[in-house]
Amino acid sequence: MKVLIVEDEKTLAYEVEAFLKKAFYVCDLAHNAHQALEMIDLNQYDFILLDLGLPDKDGLIVLEQAKKQNSEAAFIILTARGNIEDRVKGLDLGADDYLPKPFSLLELQSRMQAIARRKFGIKDQAIKLGDFSVDLQKRVVLRDTTEVELTRKEFDLLSYMLLHKNRVLTRIQLSEHIWGSFVDDDYDSNYIDVHIKNIRKKLSAHASVDWLETVRGVGYKIKKQD
Amino acid sequence: MRLRTKLTLFITLSKLAVVLLFVLMLPYLVEEIAFTYTNNYLQEQKKKVMQVIAKDGIDYYLQGEDSYGSYTMLKEEYISLEEVNAGFNLDTIETTQRVFEGTDTLEYRLLSHTFNAGNSNYLLEIGKTTATINQYNRPLQRIASYVLVALILLTTIIDLFYTRFLLRPLELVIKSKLVDRKFPFNEDPVPIQTSTSDFQYLDKSLILLMDQIHEAFEKEREFTANASHELMTPISILQNKIENLMADAEVTPQVQQRLVEMHRTLNRLKKIVSSLLLISRIDNEQFTRGDEVVVNELFEDVMEDISHRLEEHEIRFQMQLSNVLLKNCNRDLLFQLVYNLINNAIKYNKPQGSISVTDNITDPRFYTIMIADTGIGIPQDDLPTIFNRFKKSNLSEGGGYGLGLSIVQSIVQYHGYTISVESAVGKGTAFKLTIPQSAISF
Repeated sequence: MKVLIVEDEKTLAYEVEAFLKKAFYVCDLAHNAHQALEMIDLNQYDFILLDLGLPDKDGLIVLEQAKKQNSEAAFIILTARGNIEDRVKGLDLGADDYLPKPFSLLELQSRMQAIARRKFGIKDQAIKLGDFSVDLQKRVVLRDTTEVELTRKEFDLLSYMLLHKNRVLTRIQLSEHIWGSFVDDDYDSNYIDVHIKNIRKKLSAHASVDWLETVRGVGYKIKKQD
Repeated sequence: MRLRTKLTLFITLSKLAVVLLFVLMLPYLVEEIAFTYTNNYLQEQKKKVMQVIAKDGIDYYLQGEDSYGSYTMLKEEYISLEEVNAGFNLDTIETTQRVFEGTDTLEYRLLSHTFNAGNSNYLLEIGKTTATINQYNRPLQRIASYVLVALILLTTIIDLFYTRFLLRPLELVIKSKLVDRKFPFNEDPVPIQTSTSDFQYLDKSLILLMDQIHEAFEKEREFTANASHELMTPISILQNKIENLMADAEVTPQVQQRLVEMHRTLNRLKKIVSSLLLISRIDNEQFTRGDEVVVNELFEDVMEDISHRLEEHEIRFQMQLSNVLLKNCNRDLLFQLVYNLINNAIKYNKPQGSISVTDNITDPRFYTIMIADTGIGIPQDDLPTIFNRFKKSNLSEGGGYGLGLSIVQSIVQYHGYTISVESAVGKGTAFKLTIPQSAISF
């Protein structure tokens, strides 16, 4: 997948690039609207990550023009302005998603995946997890042919960890994904533990869950499957 | 008492006092006028008599006799002419009594005048009774009282209307500048049309004052918004750097733990900034009010997100809500409002405590929702400030930044609701949300 990162704050652009490269995306960078439009003209992108607060032009104008040249691409607006009008306008102009800054890179990747499934019709095969298989499309966890009942939030949690498997996810990252970044002011929330405990309990009734690891003092991680 | 009433009352009372004084003084005035009139009358008569004598001689009256006297039928007036000693000299007007036919005593205003005619000295007396004057005093007083009281009534009514007309701009100023305007005075004030310069001055001063308040408020809001934005970008960079670093293969578990701590602190900063930004956006009216929300559905949605927290503290939860529809609201904000209140009720509860959510639709003016917990409570001294930013009543309990209730307050104000709180330390806290009738339907 080819991604254009349009972001005037260079340090930030490099971090996003570094992260996405690790996840096997091919990245280009543009630091202003002029550059961005030029690159969109020359290349075909699957994803365009667009900051609205660009030095030379409003990001929404870039979105409008880029949509004409590269209509296939999925646009994700990334902004620190974060006012409601921008969001509404952005989505009206055909943006696929909107992430207010500061966002988690893991969340960004999860949104990109969701768009890929929705927009590009990419079908993930059922993923094997120990003795279980997880179908992200149908949102079910199977042990052979028996379905293991998980609540909506439990499934979200499991699939998020699965997407970022072999990487430790902190409680903050997990709770931000489940409950959003804003509503909760309990920064030291351990409520994620309750959910993980429930997931373990439900799954271990069917088979071993030793692939779901607790990393002391950090968070949780799904070990790489062979 | 209203200014208008006071003014009218004062004017009426002063008028009454003047009228009373006038009516009481009336006899003296009448007497004075009558005296002057009678004196003039007598002088006129005297002049006529003297003219006749000068023309026709004294014998015209005397007809050869020593004296002449005549009075009207009822003796109201009389005239007498007699010869007196040569040395006698008199020229007066005075009030005196005369006796007629032995019994009849009458009071007269009497002009006495001596003059020479031929070789003799004569005394002319012309009299007019004063009774004829004084007898009108009582009816005059009565009629004057009636007329004047009627006039007072009439002018009082005119005064009432006039003061009302005069003071109307004042009412308008108060209504349009103070009562009807809502903080932070976003819309431009329209000056009141009036020719009274005092009211113009008052109106201008109020407009100026409001502009100043508005400006100060705008500055604060702009600062909060700008500061939040400027802070978000560095936070964003730091967060992404930490995230990337944590996935780095060379990072040891010890370093990873410290990175998590950094992430947690950064997250705390992020929440503070976003909370401030949210408050500033609500106060700046950046949210729409076009949603319709059913109260019990809203609470159920919140509970779906938050109910797992009840289990952890073994808190019992009871909810009894009606199917009331909230009109012209913002669903996201109301979700946040309910979330913050219930979250507090859980956070500051005791283990195995309880939370109850009830509503009241019996009062036709208001719809109220009550969220009560059996938690640690808030000390009485802290109650007035709990909605202020960064005021946290339970510092030792950890969690929270003292912004949750400020957000609640902003959302409540934004929707035109009110919120009140009652609390007892060790027993619990109850928040009461009051929604005006106009904002709901069934």
